[in-house]
Amino acid sequence: MDSQMNELYGNNGPKQVHFSPYAFNGGTVLAVAGEDFAVVASDTRLSEGFSIHSRDTPKTYKLSDKTVLGSCGFHGDVLTLTKVIGARLKMFEHSHNKKMSTSSIAAMLSTMLYYKRFFPYYVYNIIGGIDDEGKGCVYSFDPVGSYEREAYRAGGSASSMLQPLLDNQIGFKNQEGATVVPLSKEKAVALVKDVFISAAERDIYTGDAIIVQVVTKDGVKTEQFPLRKD
Amino acid sequence: MSILDYNGAAIMAMKGKDCVAIAADRRFGVQAQTVSMDFDKIFEMGPHLYIGLPGLATDVQTVSQRLNFRLKMYELRENRKIKPKTFMSMVSNLLYERRFGPYFVEPVIAGLDPKTFQPFIASMDLIGCPMITDDFVVSGTCSEQMYGMCESLWEPNLEPEDLFETISQALMNAFDRDAVSGWGAVVYIIEKDKVTKRLLKTRMD
Amino acid sequence: MEAGMSCLTNPPPFWKNGPQPGGIYNFPNSSATHSNTSESQRSAYPIVTGTSVLGLKFNGGVVIAADMLGSYGSLARFRNISRLSKINDSTVIGCGGDYADFQFLSSVIEQRVIDEECLNDGFGFTPKSMFSWLTRVLYNRRSKFNPLWNVYVVAGYQDEQPFLGYVDKIGVAYEAPAISSGFGSHIALPILREEMEKNTNMNENEAIALVQRCMKLLYYRDARSLNKYQYAVITKTGAAIHGPVVPETNWEIAHLIQGYE
Repeated sequence: MDSQMNELYGNNGPKQVHFSPYAFNGGTVLAVAGEDFAVVASDTRLSEGFSIHSRDTPKTYKLSDKTVLGSCGFHGDVLTLTKVIGARLKMFEHSHNKKMSTSSIAAMLSTMLYYKRFFPYYVYNIIGGIDDEGKGCVYSFDPVGSYEREAYRAGGSASSMLQPLLDNQIGFKNQEGATVVPLSKEKAVALVKDVFISAAERDIYTGDAIIVQVVTKDGVKTEQFPLRKD
Repeated sequence: MSILDYNGAAIMAMKGKDCVAIAADRRFGVQAQTVSMDFDKIFEMGPHLYIGLPGLATDVQTVSQRLNFRLKMYELRENRKIKPKTFMSMVSNLLYERRFGPYFVEPVIAGLDPKTFQPFIASMDLIGCPMITDDFVVSGTCSEQMYGMCESLWEPNLEPEDLFETISQALMNAFDRDAVSGWGAVVYIIEKDKVTKRLLKTRMD
Repeated sequence: MEAGMSCLTNPPPFWKNGPQPGGIYNFPNSSATHSNTSESQRSAYPIVTGTSVLGLKFNGGVVIAADMLGSYGSLARFRNISRLSKINDSTVIGCGGDYADFQFLSSVIEQRVIDEECLNDGFGFTPKSMFSWLTRVLYNRRSKFNPLWNVYVVAGYQDEQPFLGYVDKIGVAYEAPAISSGFGSHIALPILREEMEKNTNMNENEAIALVQRCMKLLYYRDARSLNKYQYAVITKTGAAIHGPVVPETNWEIAHLIQGYE
């Protein structure tokens, strides 16, 4: 409290600048699995504190024709992690003469994150894609590699705003006697847009635009959609 | 851990067409341990006026009792019902008197004007800075989740029954993603000629 | 609610919206004190520093600018140092933060340019490769808790496209049509962005004029700035550093500000 007061009112003596190896650059990612597709979405804002660095930095990364990664948190770690994943995927492809499957990429990411358990990648990861049986799948991670397969997951700065709505609208939670209809691609994309619009209303780290990537057996289709820019 | 999060709570209020709703969870706990599931956090302050007090449970009860006292003194002196906005100032004043040793509650107020029956909702921080809105207000340990739900589900001019469904779904799905609130809920729908109180059964884990 | 500025400058904890690990339960015989075990931290703070660097893309090129002051705390210590460095005909970097670290990295870059030249294979640094390399160097140094205390703005022209990128001391990197580091991100960047929105197809002269306006503005408002700057323009015809420029200033309205004399 005292140090904050000093900082605000400027009556401070010589001060030591402290080095922090992390920053929080915001951003929200979201993935939803359908029967034969997966949707991975993120906003495109890159911020630090009250400043916006960039309005056009998507946080979804296409790893193969069947897999898309959503990744946000500390952008320095995001860049490094995605670069290393890219290298590992190339090495796998060259030594096994095939692409890595979505489930294998998820298992690999888990070990890569845990490898840095005591100096972690400050990154929230969610993988969306098509599994070995051709079904849509989502894998979500914590920053140190704990992971599980799920039907839908939100991650990053507005995750706590998005997740309960996904529970309600996709998981049909708290809806007594509701008929559980399988999720269509169109409804998934529309819902994703809706929840991001809501998140942009209240979260200063989410905004500018969203990137929606739809993964099917035919590959990845990308859509962009504007959000509020303030 | 903040004192405001010690007992856990989730409260929200919403405006509808000629009606307002206020809803809260029913849990009383001490950090992770749930102690009871029938704890009142919403208090009747008049025929059309309710206040929700999320925060430190001891302060919830103290503040509700002190407000009750001040409200009765006001209504005796003025010989009329208090307006929601005036009541909000009363709460604000009570909290700001403890500016440097605050009560750890962040109130939510919902009501209808006693004469015009205009809907009114407001929320406040723990030292009494008020905020009046035209849509919804939230307060408690899962406010981010509640904002996410309300921002997507709420729409203007909801009829009382639709408002009940909206606020119930918003609250339940929000506190299901919070470890220290939930365990049942209570919803008040306040209309000109009736107030409906409903208890919701929710997941208990 | 945790109030104040500290929650904005420091990253929030890994697991938010919940109790801290060990916050709910007290495990017997466990001391909650976790001492920082990083055994050595070398350059933990900057000494001689440069302030903001501005950068702006225009139709057919990029312009970047930085003033020529090396501050020693609040002392204007060195008043004629260059913070822009031309790497080759398509790449210029601008530097903010610790000047010694910039000089160190400049010598490394210079040697790498010479090594590349010796191979005589026609390859060399491109803006994108320079940007990528800088990002990796800065990130690796921060990971060893021995950061190079700098912000770099990389400007260049590659594949018939202007390039403008930003890298900071912890490896946060991005590209954007308008960039400013440090104090300039509060004072100059909003103006750069507004003008770009008004004039989406800015030409070279308009861009230079805009950057010059912003440099003057920064001299008026940034206490750690100097009325002498350089700017670099990179187009497909090549890269050139211009200046030093010493712009005309006007202090006529200064007396209206309370506390000024």
